[in-house]
Amino acid sequence: MKILNSLQRGNAEPACEKCAHFHNDPAHIEEVYRGLTTMSSGFASVRDRDGICNYHQLYLSARDSCQRFTSRMPA
Amino acid sequence: MADSNITLDPTHNPDAPAAPLRRSLALTEDWWAVWLGLGIIILAYVFYLAGSSISWIAVSPTKWSTFPELATQLSKNGIRYLALLAAFLVLFTIVVSFIGQKAKAFIPAFIFIFILSTIIYIAGNWDQASKYNLEPPLVALLLGLIISNVIGLPRWLDAGFRVEFYIKLGIVLLGATLPFTLIIWAGPVAILQASIVSIVTFLAIFFTARKLGLDQRLAAVLGAGGAVCGVSASIAISGAVRAKKGDPPIAISLVVFWAIIFIFALPLIARALHLPTGVGGAWIGTSEFADAAGLAAAQSYGGLAGKGLGISGTADQALASYTLIKVIGRDIWIGIWALVLALISVTYWERSETNSKVQVGQIWWRFPKFVIGFLVASILTTLIVHGNSLAEYNKVVKPGLITPITSLRTWAFTLSFLSIGLTTRFRELANAGIKPFIAFTVGVIVNVILGYILSVIVFGHYWSGVITH
Repeated sequence: MKILNSLQRGNAEPACEKCAHFHNDPAHIEEVYRGLTTMSSGFASVRDRDGICNYHQLYLSARDSCQRFTSRMPA
Repeated sequence: MADSNITLDPTHNPDAPAAPLRRSLALTEDWWAVWLGLGIIILAYVFYLAGSSISWIAVSPTKWSTFPELATQLSKNGIRYLALLAAFLVLFTIVVSFIGQKAKAFIPAFIFIFILSTIIYIAGNWDQASKYNLEPPLVALLLGLIISNVIGLPRWLDAGFRVEFYIKLGIVLLGATLPFTLIIWAGPVAILQASIVSIVTFLAIFFTARKLGLDQRLAAVLGAGGAVCGVSASIAISGAVRAKKGDPPIAISLVVFWAIIFIFALPLIARALHLPTGVGGAWIGTSEFADAAGLAAAQSYGGLAGKGLGISGTADQALASYTLIKVIGRDIWIGIWALVLALISVTYWERSETNSKVQVGQIWWRFPKFVIGFLVASILTTLIVHGNSLAEYNKVVKPGLITPITSLRTWAFTLSFLSIGLTTRFRELANAGIKPFIAFTVGVIVNVILGYILSVIVFGHYWSGVITH
């Protein structure tokens, strides 16, 4: 089935999480999304390690990746 | 506009530091609620085995009718309230420090909210309180809303208003008061009922949103918010389907708006219909969006039992049926929803900016871990209680073990309900726009009507017979 082709088993190495464009600190997410703490939390399990990509302007998984990756690590 | 390359960049993480995966598993609010809740239950059991009880520190106000009577009660128990404050403060400060929040801001904020909670708890025990509809959850919410929207508080105080942490801790403690046999008995019905309502509500919101021309991802984020577990579901699905950065605030605004209306409206309607507390709790569990909001409504409705209003059942029945529907029937499926929607998203909606693989592991990663604490707590106390006669249970086990845990549970819930009000700043909520509002409202209407039919007409006999410890 076409839909199952998108499945990836196992735990892939995080990509976006190490990107300079990506921000998933729970406190930051709570700051950006005012009202989140009223009935949920930036520190909740359901959020996993999702965060905001300021390059693509998306809210996505820390396990995603793209060719615009810019390492946070000093060169 | 960003580029649209699908290919995974093979150079993205050659020497990156270890991702905090293990750390995130151990240090989310969910896990801390589990450790703390189960720790309290085990401590209570140790004291109980030693022929003592934690009831000294698990203080709660008793009924009072005059101010001199209240003053006597407070002067007698003042030191116990201070001890409880100190215990909570130490434990919670450890938690917030570990998960990465600022203890310096948390401490004064928590003292503030504890004092307010004490006042609300005491007011709720005034013997005329029910005459004036002073149900503690509603008073807590209303007082919080007035303080945050009329008076205003400095934002740094939000550090102590941890709605989710308090409610999760309360739910774990609630598990200790529910027989595991009840979860086995009523769980399948809860799952069946909640699944029917969740799927129909999601589809109603999704297709209305699509008909109105909204993006598929926003439609899914809104649908999950209305169908599964409110703001938590919306934020989880946002990540799963790679929503636009601006999508989550739209869902947050709509969920908060309707959830607050329902905290007041659902108990009011259930009261007018004289629903038994177990049935009312099930309906609230099916129709409210967020755990904390629904518990406020369910506890408020349960509090009306036995007050000459024609409402049968007990307060705990409302909480039990609510929790079964909401936690077992809806919350635990969020990972499945995320996986399915992520698959649909990458297969048919084709967001092209990022790598498009979906990982099965998110079923566990997004699983609301506090549910594990809730189930373990239920199993623990069921084993402890097992073998006692009803007379022994009422004379020894209940006052020595169950009642103090129930008291701490009520504190956790009160802290949470007050925090909802204190963190709801209406002017700060995003303007959702008319189309998302219409789509979400259609789902709300479908949800409430279908939830009523299933909770009252189809499974009413089931929910009215819920048994608690």
